[in-house]
Amino acid sequence: MTDSRQADAGMGSRSDAAVDDGPTVDFFHVFDLSTSPHMILDRDFRFVAVNRAYENVLMRPREALIGNRLFEMFPERSEAQERLKASILTAFETGEPDTIALIPYEIDRPAAQGGGREIRYWSATHTPLLDAGGRVTFVIQNTNDVTAIAHLKASGPLAGQAATAELALWRNAEAVEEAYQQTLAENEEFHRLFSQAPGMIAVFEGPELLATFVSDTFSRFVGQRPIVAQPLLEALPELAGQDFVAMLTEAIEVGTSVTREGLTIRIRHAPDNLEQTFYVDFFCNPVRDAEGMIYGVFVQGVDRTEAMRAAHHQRMLMDELNHRVKNTLATIQSMARQSFRDPGDLDSARYAFEARIMALSRVHNVLADRRWEAVPLTALFCGNALGADSARIDCRGEELLLSPKTGVALAIVSHELLANAKRHGALSDADGHVEISWVFDRAGPDRLTMTWREIRPKGFEASLRPGMGLRILRIIIEGELEGSLAIELAEPGLICTFEVGLTGAAGIAG
Amino acid sequence: MGVRIEGMRVLVVEDESLVALQLEDMLLDMGCHVVGPAMRLRAAGELLDSGVGIDCAVLDVNVSGEMVYPIAERLAEMGIPFIFATGYGRDGVDQRWTAVPILQKPYTSEEIGESLARCLQ
Repeated sequence: MTDSRQADAGMGSRSDAAVDDGPTVDFFHVFDLSTSPHMILDRDFRFVAVNRAYENVLMRPREALIGNRLFEMFPERSEAQERLKASILTAFETGEPDTIALIPYEIDRPAAQGGGREIRYWSATHTPLLDAGGRVTFVIQNTNDVTAIAHLKASGPLAGQAATAELALWRNAEAVEEAYQQTLAENEEFHRLFSQAPGMIAVFEGPELLATFVSDTFSRFVGQRPIVAQPLLEALPELAGQDFVAMLTEAIEVGTSVTREGLTIRIRHAPDNLEQTFYVDFFCNPVRDAEGMIYGVFVQGVDRTEAMRAAHHQRMLMDELNHRVKNTLATIQSMARQSFRDPGDLDSARYAFEARIMALSRVHNVLADRRWEAVPLTALFCGNALGADSARIDCRGEELLLSPKTGVALAIVSHELLANAKRHGALSDADGHVEISWVFDRAGPDRLTMTWREIRPKGFEASLRPGMGLRILRIIIEGELEGSLAIELAEPGLICTFEVGLTGAAGIAG
Repeated sequence: MGVRIEGMRVLVVEDESLVALQLEDMLLDMGCHVVGPAMRLRAAGELLDSGVGIDCAVLDVNVSGEMVYPIAERLAEMGIPFIFATGYGRDGVDQRWTAVPILQKPYTSEEIGESLARCLQ
């Protein structure tokens, strides 16, 4: 058996330099001689000291323990090891003693005593030892082997008179430990449930609105910034002056629940980002202690931002749809006016009107196929797109995507040229055809030059009637598209050349 | 119609070709002279700069993606009355201009005539 002086080396920090001359108490000696088992651990769970009672009850000499880790010396596969570790850690972290009323823990029996494992029952208290600066440097464990009482209990009613008090003590310890573990488990369960709740949940306490609980969703909402145990406005300074804070304060001061639907809250949602605006439904309830005093506020929130944005977007879409329908109606109204201006020939007027509506309808189909974003130029001028015989229309030019407005304008140009060719030009002949070509000058100011050339092998009567079609071409190309238009009638047929700028709002679709 | 609009010089600001064409026809049929149509804000501004005589104006609100208000401001400063004609209706016009008559497209030539007569009073 070793003496206490050897353990002294393990303690390191012990000082027995007595200042006065009177008899002194050697506290280490007291520790060593205590009949109650004690040991001291550092933060690495290494033994720094054990007393004789501990050596005896654990059946290990101190030389085998000091400097070694607790859980390497006494490994335990069950959850008991985790519970023991948690209790020691609690003492280290909180600076407060932590007690385990009852814990079964298996230990190795030395070979000299037959070897094998032996289940023992323990109760243990872990008390933090502080240095001069108030930091926890060691934890002292006082443990008691209560296996004998456990066996006493197991032997039931046969237990002797003397054991009754101890049995009662045991049952009490067992009940206390069980209740404690259950509370702990329930607490953890609730904590986990609230943390994972789909909505935002947080609890703020005191006049500074110290956050004491935030759910995962709330944490994400504030950009994962650590806010627990901090005054709200220190953790989230951008909330200063915002309605959110006024709402929390109101719940605490007035003592009633407060509800805000779609509350605007500006918050740094991502750590490095600028503030973003959110719309959140909040429900606040004051929280009271056992005496009914309000000490904080419980907040639930549901982020409605996406729904609000979607509703806003839908409203905008409806407005825009209405606007487009009205504009289209105005365009059709104008087409009717242009078509029926000369009441002399009602049949051809009706034909012209219907053809114009069909042209407008076709370009709307092209737009609808592309979510109203762009019109490919070939779709406006090439054969099938015109509803004409593609063999008689030769179309050459690179594909360009036009903005919807330019697309609709050029669709009407295309239609007026085609309608004219069918009624008076190359497509009214059996063997005439049309050559369409364009060049897009990207180097310059994005100018599109287009040529519509009609070829009439049998010749034709060269007369250009200044009809409505020409007026429409002129206002679209020279007015709306700010371009230039040239029309000439010569052999072998009509040549229409126009040049338009495609920059700016009316130009090429992004 | 309290005021006769015949012979009035009407500035037209409208970026939709066919709508502009129709408005031009309506105004001509009512005996008005048409200034424009200006299909961009810049073109409208240039017409005002040119000093051409204008008695009143019909303004589309969204002109090739630009709001027509700068032109409205200039007309107001010049003391020239005007009306708005827009596919958006009254909700599409800035609060500042609630006193100005607003026509929603499509409109008839009678509506144009009455609105112009009203703004000229």
